[in-house]
Amino acid sequence: MHDVTHARRRRRDLIVAAVLVAAAACVPIFVKDVYAQNILVLTLMYAGLSQSWNILGGYCGQISLGHALYFGLGAYVTAILFTKFGVLPWFGMLTGGVISALIALALGYPTFRLGGHYFAIATIVIAEIAYLLFLNWDWAGAALGIDIMVRGDSWLKFQFVRSKLPYFYFALAFAAVAWLVTWWLENSKWGYWWRAVKDNSDAAESLGVVVFKSKMGAGAISAFLTAIGGAFYAMFVSYIDPDAVMSFQFSLLIALPAVLGGIGTLWGPVLGAAVLIPVTELTRSFIGGSGRGVDLIVYGSLIVLVSLTRPDGLLGLFSRKRKEAVR
Amino acid sequence: MTALLETRGVWQRFGGLVANSDVSISVGRGEIVGLIGPNGAGKSTLFNLIAGVRPPSQGSIWFDGKDVTATPASERCRAGIGRTFQVVKSFETMTVIDNVIVGALVRNTVMREARRKAFEVLEFTGLAARADVPASELIPSEKRRLEVARALATEPKLLLLDEVLTGLTPLEAQTGVELVRRVRDTGVTVLMVEHVMEIVMPLVDRAIVLDLGKVLVEGKPADVVRDPKVITAYLGDRHAVGA
Repeated sequence: MHDVTHARRRRRDLIVAAVLVAAAACVPIFVKDVYAQNILVLTLMYAGLSQSWNILGGYCGQISLGHALYFGLGAYVTAILFTKFGVLPWFGMLTGGVISALIALALGYPTFRLGGHYFAIATIVIAEIAYLLFLNWDWAGAALGIDIMVRGDSWLKFQFVRSKLPYFYFALAFAAVAWLVTWWLENSKWGYWWRAVKDNSDAAESLGVVVFKSKMGAGAISAFLTAIGGAFYAMFVSYIDPDAVMSFQFSLLIALPAVLGGIGTLWGPVLGAAVLIPVTELTRSFIGGSGRGVDLIVYGSLIVLVSLTRPDGLLGLFSRKRKEAVR
Repeated sequence: MTALLETRGVWQRFGGLVANSDVSISVGRGEIVGLIGPNGAGKSTLFNLIAGVRPPSQGSIWFDGKDVTATPASERCRAGIGRTFQVVKSFETMTVIDNVIVGALVRNTVMREARRKAFEVLEFTGLAARADVPASELIPSEKRRLEVARALATEPKLLLLDEVLTGLTPLEAQTGVELVRRVRDTGVTVLMVEHVMEIVMPLVDRAIVLDLGKVLVEGKPADVVRDPKVITAYLGDRHAVGA
């Protein structure tokens, strides 16, 4: 009887997700405004990115504030392969993902031995080093960046001039896949290992969990998916430079939706991105060009508010209601 | 048949402090062995060495006929050593059954089977009604039982219990004693560290008394409690005179 309710809960999550994706797919029918569509694309992209971050930061409990590195790598690998070697972005995307995963493993080898805050600090430093390297790497465009020439609509080359809709659908697919991967992992050996490692690594170790290996696995998957998002972003904005894809701000923007929505939960990143990204984009446009940084003030205030009232994130609002209903 | 667990001349030093010196004990298959001794006797240190928290400074540890001295804790769990923690270490953000599933995954790779196994163990330990409650909401005695359940889910040959009966009400302790007996009846060997003699003595087949890092006395519980050396270790010289 017990595993029936568990299976039912998981099926319900899947159905809700399918309904949400279907509903989201219909949104562009009603929203024709390009600016609004732009916000939708970014919201979906950050939902997917934060979902990817959540695998390592939320489930496995390894707080990374350096995911801009993997985001930037995905963007750079795709842009360089496309502009210099004529490799289609689809392959560039996968290559960027694989390279990011490998780098995550190489970096994880020393850093996953660090505990708590020290790990977070190490991720900031490493991402910052990568940022400086790209800023000075002439072959990769250095500070000038890489301009991806757009020559008309093409699914093959993933370039679209006339409409933002293809980007929208790709971002939707990206968010959906990141969610689905999380949904699947959550009920796998890995998902259980990660949560055990997060809650108490000594106890996990005594139950046969190889703590180091679990962290490495989470890091690689998380980096791979984040790089896919970065590759998409490069094609979406068609111009990248270190500031546009690898600055510290991205590390925050990737982590915050999950933290706000509910860290280490299946729905947290989606909910967080749905609240956070439109709010930031709108404040940015209302305040105007001089308001750089105001969006981050809004971010900060929201995080402070949520952590004071609902430390487990916005999702906590729902579970509290549900619990009271049961009582 | 060889002993299930054996420590051969095990030493553990922490800087200048010698926590275990030349400890050689053995635990036979199907036994319930109590590891007792006053505070600071080195029980927990020895316990952690057997569980694989750290390798001993010197000496070797043999389990099931193999030298496991250098084997890390996670590997020892796979080999068949399950343990609990004296200070409970539940996975607080996970539900009770999810806590136990982590253990069950050692021998069950299919999630559905791991979940089934975990539920079986919860029924065995009397926690089934609390399966879907977050571990953080359990009362202390339930958390102790969760520790045992989690370790049992790994299907150990040897179960190491670190003061699971200490600090419980008499009724809770009695339930705990019965649980340990039932565990043994399923064929699991038990090595338990306990502080409180009157709880352990009726339960164990054999008691090993540690004092100042060394094995002081070893034998049947009834003999051990009457041993003057043990009484001295626990109560000081004055009380040993009449014994």
